[in-house]
Amino acid sequence: MSTRPLISVVDDDESVRESLPDLLNEFGFDAQAFSSAEEFLASDWLSQTSCLLLDVAMPGMTGPDLQQELKVRRQQIPIVFITAHHDETVRPHLLAQGAVECLFKPFTDTDLLHALNTALRP
Amino acid sequence: MDFSDPQRHADGMSRPKESFIPELGSVVDALPGLVWTALPDGHVDFVNQQWREYTGFSGDAWQMAIHPEDLPRLLECLRSSISTARACEAEVRMRRFDGEFRWFAVRANPITDASGTVIKCCGLNWDIEDRKRGEELLDLAQKAARAMAFDWYIQQKINAWSPEQEALYGLPPGTFDGTYESWKKLVHPDDWPGVVASLKHAQETGNISAEYRVVWPDGSIHWLSANGLMFFDDRGQPFRMVGFTADVTRRKQVEEELRRTRLELAHVARVMSLGALTASIAHEVNQPLSGIITNASTCMRMLEADPPNVEGARETVRRTIRDGHRASDVITRLRALFSKKQATTEVVELNQATREVIALTLSELQSNRVILKTELADDLPLVAGDRVQLQQVILNLLRNASDAMDSVDDRPRQLLIKTEQDADGGVRLSVQDTGVGFELEKMNKLFEAFYTTKKDGMGIGLSVSRSIIANHRGRLWASANDGPGATFSFSIPCDRTVRDN
Repeated sequence: MSTRPLISVVDDDESVRESLPDLLNEFGFDAQAFSSAEEFLASDWLSQTSCLLLDVAMPGMTGPDLQQELKVRRQQIPIVFITAHHDETVRPHLLAQGAVECLFKPFTDTDLLHALNTALRP
Repeated sequence: MDFSDPQRHADGMSRPKESFIPELGSVVDALPGLVWTALPDGHVDFVNQQWREYTGFSGDAWQMAIHPEDLPRLLECLRSSISTARACEAEVRMRRFDGEFRWFAVRANPITDASGTVIKCCGLNWDIEDRKRGEELLDLAQKAARAMAFDWYIQQKINAWSPEQEALYGLPPGTFDGTYESWKKLVHPDDWPGVVASLKHAQETGNISAEYRVVWPDGSIHWLSANGLMFFDDRGQPFRMVGFTADVTRRKQVEEELRRTRLELAHVARVMSLGALTASIAHEVNQPLSGIITNASTCMRMLEADPPNVEGARETVRRTIRDGHRASDVITRLRALFSKKQATTEVVELNQATREVIALTLSELQSNRVILKTELADDLPLVAGDRVQLQQVILNLLRNASDAMDSVDDRPRQLLIKTEQDADGGVRLSVQDTGVGFELEKMNKLFEAFYTTKKDGMGIGLSVSRSIIANHRGRLWASANDGPGATFSFSIPCDRTVRDN
């Protein structure tokens, strides 16, 4: 059983689901990828997740929808949003709702690591 | 002299005096007017048969036949005629035998003896009721239409403008000297070329139709709309202009507000659609870019590890390559989207398509003070293509031409749209302006995306236009004019199947 923190990636984009877990492993985290918010909510990994890397725009339940749903379920998982829409007006809204960070794709590995470290700070 | 007492000479009425040739009495009776003679003291000593028939009584009670409101004016006129020995004219209402009043013109002519003393006054009253009614109707029509009639004999340089017409130009009554030069000074200098163009047009068609601003002496600006007819002398020179002028300032203000609102709307729509387009392009491209950067970062870390994870690195490179292709696919899809392979093909009558675009842009062109001329060739072959796309190109060329003349103030802003058949059987449309033109070495840049010479231009119009024309198997090009300005033309081949049909 690993003691490394688990980072869950929720993104409908396959190349993100393929590439991010490897990078997260290189950072020293465990990683699980999910193609939708619904899939993540239904999984057993929810309770073990230390941080959520969450896409904003997805078919079905969106990233902000999942953020609200987790609030309702009183699941206090730190969330780092990742989005390909460079909309500066969305970011403050997401942060106000409690997100740790909102990264615009493509982001650098150091920006990601910095956001994760902030999220996992006790 | 006494005109005041109609009863004074009640017994003095007579038939024509013996000095008349007998037949002359019949002639006088046959005249289509009321004939009378009076002595210098005002006693009417003769009236003809028409007079008696109209009034129903004889001339001694003549003052009874004049409308009380008009009588003082007539008496004054007659008094001055007799005292000065000059003819006089007046317009009065006369009571008919049945009590109805009709307007008459009165002309009194004094007769003098050898010493120059007035011995008699001869007069003729003729019915002008119809003319008066016409004048009244005209007056009412003018008031109703808020328009003023003008009847201007251009070459005679006489003030033929009514005071109301002068008022439209802010002039005090009677101060317009009737010369072309004076008129020109009243018209706003920016609008004068348009007025001249309208007059030129009137010389060809005889119809005057112009809208222009005038500057009042107080500096205020008013819009006038003039419509009328031009008449020509034997040498074909215009000598008379008749018509109506109306103040259309309010309408113009509303139109201007409308135009501005429409422009703002169009701009917002353009910015929004471009913004939406940019966002979707960015999103599509950012996804694979994100994969590439993440994979490359992972690859670097794997190779830097001790020992290096070569197998893992190989996998990330494979994914990097795949995401690179994915980005490239996005671009290809975008290009396909813009080239619009699914464009509809229909039979297009280019002249008709052009006229529709002109109709859409006419008010915009006019408010930019652009003088539009069209030379659309008869018997232009039909072409096969996407009508809406071709109209977008025409619209784009018209807008560009109009924009290019925005800063032109020292010459007419002329825009010529021409359609003609190409030497090789294709159809050609060209848009010629008298604008700022372009530098020859920048000719090719004109058609590049995001290249613009306008301060608020996006620089996509011509590049999109060129790709649309290329999809019609045609070409779009620019050329400099001999004079100022540029000409943009496109030609597209005439479709064989269309031609055969």
